[in-house]
Amino acid sequence: MNIPILSLITFLPLAGALLLIFLPKENKNLLYGIALSLAVVVFLVSLSLYFGFDAQADGPQFVEKTGWLGFGIQYHLGIDGISLFLVLLTTLLMPIALLSSWSYIQDRIKVYLIFMLILETGIIGVFISLNMFLFYVFWEATLIPMYFLIGIWGGKRRIYATMKFVLFTMLGSLLMLVAIFVLYHLYYKATGTYSLNIFDYYQMLLDPKLQTWLFLAFALAFAIKVPMFPFHTWLPDAHVEAPTAGSVILAAVLLKMGAYGFIRFALPLFPNAVETFLPVLSVLAIIGIIYGGLMALIQKDIKSLVAYSSVSHMGLIMLALFSLNVEGATGAIYQMLNHGLSTGMLFLVVGILYERSHTRLIKDFGGLSKQMPVFSAFFLVALLSSAGLPGLNGFVGEITCFFGIFAANKTFAILSVSTVILAAAYLLWMFERVMHGPITNEKILSYKDVNKREIVYLVPIVVLMFWMGLYPQPFLRKIEPSVARAIAGIKSATKVFVQKPESVPAKFKIPEGSAGIR
Amino acid sequence: MNSFGATVPLLLIVGGALLVFLLEAFLKKENKNYLAYVSLFALIGCGILSAKAWNAGRSYFDGMLRLDNPALFLTFLFLIAVAFVILIGMKYISMQDANHGEFYGLLLLALSGLMIMVSSTNLIVIFLGLEVLSVSSYALAGLKRKDDKSSESAIKYFLMGSFASAFLVFGMAILFGTAQTLDISGLIAFFKTGPDNQVLSLVGFGLVLVGLAFKIAIVPFHMWAPDVYEGAPTPVTAFFSVGPKAAGFAVLIRLLAPYWNAGFGSAKLFAFLWALAALTTLVGSLIALRQKNIKRMLAYSSIANGGYMLIAVLAGDGTALLFFLTTYVFMSIGAFGSLIALTGNGREYNELEDFAGIGFKYPWIGAIFAVFLLSLAGFPPTGGFLAKFYVFVGAVRQGLTSLVLIAVLASLISVYYYLRIVVYMYMREPEREVSIELENPALYLVLFLSLYGVLQLGIFPGNVLYLIKQAVSALF
Repeated sequence: MNIPILSLITFLPLAGALLLIFLPKENKNLLYGIALSLAVVVFLVSLSLYFGFDAQADGPQFVEKTGWLGFGIQYHLGIDGISLFLVLLTTLLMPIALLSSWSYIQDRIKVYLIFMLILETGIIGVFISLNMFLFYVFWEATLIPMYFLIGIWGGKRRIYATMKFVLFTMLGSLLMLVAIFVLYHLYYKATGTYSLNIFDYYQMLLDPKLQTWLFLAFALAFAIKVPMFPFHTWLPDAHVEAPTAGSVILAAVLLKMGAYGFIRFALPLFPNAVETFLPVLSVLAIIGIIYGGLMALIQKDIKSLVAYSSVSHMGLIMLALFSLNVEGATGAIYQMLNHGLSTGMLFLVVGILYERSHTRLIKDFGGLSKQMPVFSAFFLVALLSSAGLPGLNGFVGEITCFFGIFAANKTFAILSVSTVILAAAYLLWMFERVMHGPITNEKILSYKDVNKREIVYLVPIVVLMFWMGLYPQPFLRKIEPSVARAIAGIKSATKVFVQKPESVPAKFKIPEGSAGIR
Repeated sequence: MNSFGATVPLLLIVGGALLVFLLEAFLKKENKNYLAYVSLFALIGCGILSAKAWNAGRSYFDGMLRLDNPALFLTFLFLIAVAFVILIGMKYISMQDANHGEFYGLLLLALSGLMIMVSSTNLIVIFLGLEVLSVSSYALAGLKRKDDKSSESAIKYFLMGSFASAFLVFGMAILFGTAQTLDISGLIAFFKTGPDNQVLSLVGFGLVLVGLAFKIAIVPFHMWAPDVYEGAPTPVTAFFSVGPKAAGFAVLIRLLAPYWNAGFGSAKLFAFLWALAALTTLVGSLIALRQKNIKRMLAYSSIANGGYMLIAVLAGDGTALLFFLTTYVFMSIGAFGSLIALTGNGREYNELEDFAGIGFKYPWIGAIFAVFLLSLAGFPPTGGFLAKFYVFVGAVRQGLTSLVLIAVLASLISVYYYLRIVVYMYMREPEREVSIELENPALYLVLFLSLYGVLQLGIFPGNVLYLIKQAVSALF
């Protein structure tokens, strides 16, 4: 039996969104019930990807491929060990995010759920597309629902934040689109056939000068999404204004699209340019680590503190990725999952707090642990996971990242370790001010501890955090072979070019100046 | 089919127009809708007759009239556009105190002009079509007789339009003097052999291009467009944004695509038009940023879109151009149709502030308008994305990468102003009292069809692309 699982999990949410359009907007429970059960079903179906995935097999799996628009534009899906867990992360967090908005989102619920489901379709599509056109379509398609989610249900400066988010992302992705056009044209010129298949492009060796430009276009698009310093300025704005569920999805999954883009597209397609720009990118990543950590230290708003911690953590992930060895890249992928869980949970926790207090300022709190002991325990777990405490998932990811970075460049490794110190500092200091000390704000006495619904969506994350921290092998086993192949692809391509490309018949060499820029 | 038979579709439209004018005199004000039905019948008849000529590719009257596939494809496009305009206009003109039967008659006449323009490769005949189109358009712009802005727009359009026509005629006269022919293929052959009087020929050709550039509102010949678009009744504006533009670009690509290889002065003209295309996308998008009136903003957006079409002309990419035009018909008429959906009795709501909170007050209209705006902004999976995609791919293939970069930046700017309307519709609380007339089934039909078109063209454009391929094979 051949069920197109990837298509199913991609388009089931969209179908749900279309269904919701025709339901009455007053019936809150029905709307939530349908959206939530759909998201859970999608998650359960996506689990079959994990069990059916063969880590040792070469190439993408669960492949679906049919013609679509002709001229190389195909409907081509497939996953490898890198995208597998990103898809699972998405499908896991979506029901959690929906459950978390049950009481947070009070008005325009129907439209809200529709956009959340469309967003899920877009994100999953990004991770599983193997055709550049399809990838771009999904990439852009995630933008619209997020734009509405921030713009309609966001805070006071939501319009500014959402426009900034859209325009930043569009700037990068449009330049990437032009680069895709150029690749498309060059491939046709070299082979006489149209293709937008990413694996075909891996076979292409471009003139190094041209690689530089194309790489910059791709790297800009992805660096904005990650976001890497200095393109990060949209992130704190978007996070602070977005509703809780929006922040969760944004931090946990949308940012990963950028890092994923690097490892799937920017790095393997332009090996020579990567070699040239690697030091620059690594330095930017280190600046991101330190700058994000320092900025997080001085934030007054808990949510923007978490947002800046994201900048810092994503910096580490990128640095590990740029070390271009198996340990580093595996660590980066693993840390992407960890960051998704821990930052996602931090945003959930902040959201729970905000629902009770309608403030996120650190100074408005103090002594919460006495009033909300269970909440305080959840908060602590999320925080320690984010800070990389041994026994929790963050530690495994960070240590693997450091191994990789250390093997590549010792100075970078020493500098990047500062992320641990900084994270401990800003997170624990924040925890101390919010949770401990005397209760200064009388309103706190009226706050209720976490309710059952909140426990239901927090517990799976906590379980996963311990699991991934204590027994990471089931994950790493599936990630590592794919990462090893990807890294080998990048490295060998670099070497091939140095040894004169003519001697390698499998690769097409595009002569210099054939970009045809007139 | 003999030569006379070939003109029947055209005569049907002209006859329909005359019938409308005649009946107008005898119909009571509340029965004016019958005129719309008469016009629609004429359109359907013309469509059926034209469909029969598909793939025949014959030419009549010694090549003066050519019913080849590109001409027929564009004719279908115009028929759809005019039918849409009639449907969105029916209720509008009665609400805006402009319930004159001339609306339908003039639209049909303008349509006949469009058909003539695209069904010939002789500049004289093209000019005839253009004049029929223009004169009807001037009158259409002033349809709201009691409205100052409408009259202003008619006068402005008339003055500028006549000016442009004069350029065109003068250029054609010079060209005829040097080349002894006004047939496009003859002209290209003449350019290829290298004319004796180079300066004069180039001046003539340049004047023809300037005249056409006026009509399709290429920067810096666009000054009339915003005022005319703003002042004209909204259905007429919708027509202006698609009809004359599509015909103008069709003529332009027939003229220029073979000319790029002619050698004679073509590199210089290419560079000139390259600059104009860059300028048009940028200026159109930048000025649209500052507009508070949505009709005016859509006018600048239409100018910017003209820039993308010009890129397709520069790349000589007929497929991309026709696909862009097809998509543009649906999204532009859809966008103006949404504006019409937001009109009340004797009132129009065209200011940005009027749109605050509309998205939740009128969820269907808001959502549909948002889709058209996203399509205009070029977001997938709408037709607008694919249209730009094809244009840009074609241009990169021809080595116009830097022009594509400029156009892409312009479309980034355009994202801002399109999304600003969405911001007002969905993210702001209503500030003004907006009461709109909701009962307008014909309009909703058009909105629905346009929505369908935009999505179909964005996701499964296979059939349309197939027709376009058939059409383009006979374009040059």
